Amino acid sequence: MTHSLHRRGDVESLKKDFLILSCSAKGFNDGWYGPLGSEFVRVCTKHKPVNGGDMKTGNLLYVDPEEIANKVTNTTILEFNFDNKQNVIDCIKELKERDLGISIVISGMIDEVNDIVQKAGLPKVHTREFSLGTHGKTRLLPEWEVLEFTTMCGHAMVASEYVKKAIVEARKGHVSPREAAVQMGKCCSCGNFNVNRAVELMEKNAPLWTSDYPAY
Amino acid sequence: MVIDETKCIGCGKCLPFCPVQARGFGRSASGGRTFIVIDKDKCIECGVCERAGVCPVDAMHMEELPWPRTVRGILSNPLLEFKATGVPGRGTEEIKTNEITGRVKYGRVGVGIEMGRPGISARWAEVEKVCMAVAKMGIGFCEGNPITHFMADKKTGKLDPTVLNEASLSAIVEFEMDETQIPELFRILREEVNDQIDTVYTFEIAARLEANGTTTVIKAIEDGGYQMLPVSKNNLGLGRPRFQEEVSA
Repeated sequence: MTHSLHRRGDVESLKKDFLILSCSAKGFNDGWYGPLGSEFVRVCTKHKPVNGGDMKTGNLLYVDPEEIANKVTNTTILEFNFDNKQNVIDCIKELKERDLGISIVISGMIDEVNDIVQKAGLPKVHTREFSLGTHGKTRLLPEWEVLEFTTMCGHAMVASEYVKKAIVEARKGHVSPREAAVQMGKCCSCGNFNVNRAVELMEKNAPLWTSDYPAY
Repeated sequence: MVIDETKCIGCGKCLPFCPVQARGFGRSASGGRTFIVIDKDKCIECGVCERAGVCPVDAMHMEELPWPRTVRGILSNPLLEFKATGVPGRGTEEIKTNEITGRVKYGRVGVGIEMGRPGISARWAEVEKVCMAVAKMGIGFCEGNPITHFMADKKTGKLDPTVLNEASLSAIVEFEMDETQIPELFRILREEVNDQIDTVYTFEIAARLEANGTTTVIKAIEDGGYQMLPVSKNNLGLGRPRFQEEVSA
């Protein structure tokens, strides 16, 4: 239900994390969505997304944007991730001007999204989904610093053990923070994973990370 | 997921990629070789290990899953399409297309209880506990959702008994209800779910916003003692044809 709603992190970090999504409405516009979805891809990729794609074709870390655009079908779910608010405003403005007639969804901090909607010239958000957190046997969850990474993939394809390993490897200098972040991002085929934010988190967390990890 | 024990060299490169740590080292009967063994009970068939592309000897492959193990893949591997909806993923369109479908109307809310999220996984017997607890409110489970599809009784929330021992990376219990039922939902989750399940769940509520950009649902959430996290998901209302809904009172 929530590709991008339940991301964890501090406010300053989450302010640099936006996701724009589009999909067809089954029984309404799923007979002709494909070419409109392709246009959505081309508009989004003009505005410097950090990542993006669709789960079947793959993401921008390893697939050319035009290939993503060309492979859109009537049921493709498309997602593009941004770390710059102005780029999001410009992208939403252009999507509004292009008037594709397809559903567009944006995830991000509530105040930031309200500001983006206003600056993009839209009247208001139509429907909003709120995250009420994680409950139940929460002692099973990994460390908060790990959740900051893993929750950037809505399908939980970025394993917490891999994040711990990557942090240790970055601390030891075996890989650069970007190399580690890109490898995590490749696990998340939708393109939900904000690689630039992951690099910042890696640079923040690696020097402070005290536990070690088995040297597999 | 299957490991070819005759190929695997036990290097362990695939181990950290498993979201549910369902892998360990095994040894051949003669004791001469070490290889990776998958705990089939824990494995949720997400396919992450294979897609990571780290196996140097190509010893992993996805097998065709027999029933009822099929449900593990459907709910864990986003690349698999749930045939009933024709859409990959674990849930439905929910509010992503609400301006067109009119699914969540004024005075109503969409609710998602994502069992096993983030990254813990959930046994379907645990999912059934939640379905049966919230079903007492007389809510309508969302059609097109895989959990709803596998219900034996949509009124009671009872699942098909053959799937109860299956597990998945997440399982989204999706339903709609009146906004006035929010306090009762919170009570049920606190009293009948939170301490009764052997996993976690992540919880969301969606509502139409009024012309002034707010909703009374926020007050209901706060009055119920829940705290909204700072990130939100927002349908911008740009799709067509627009669902014609009566104006808000």
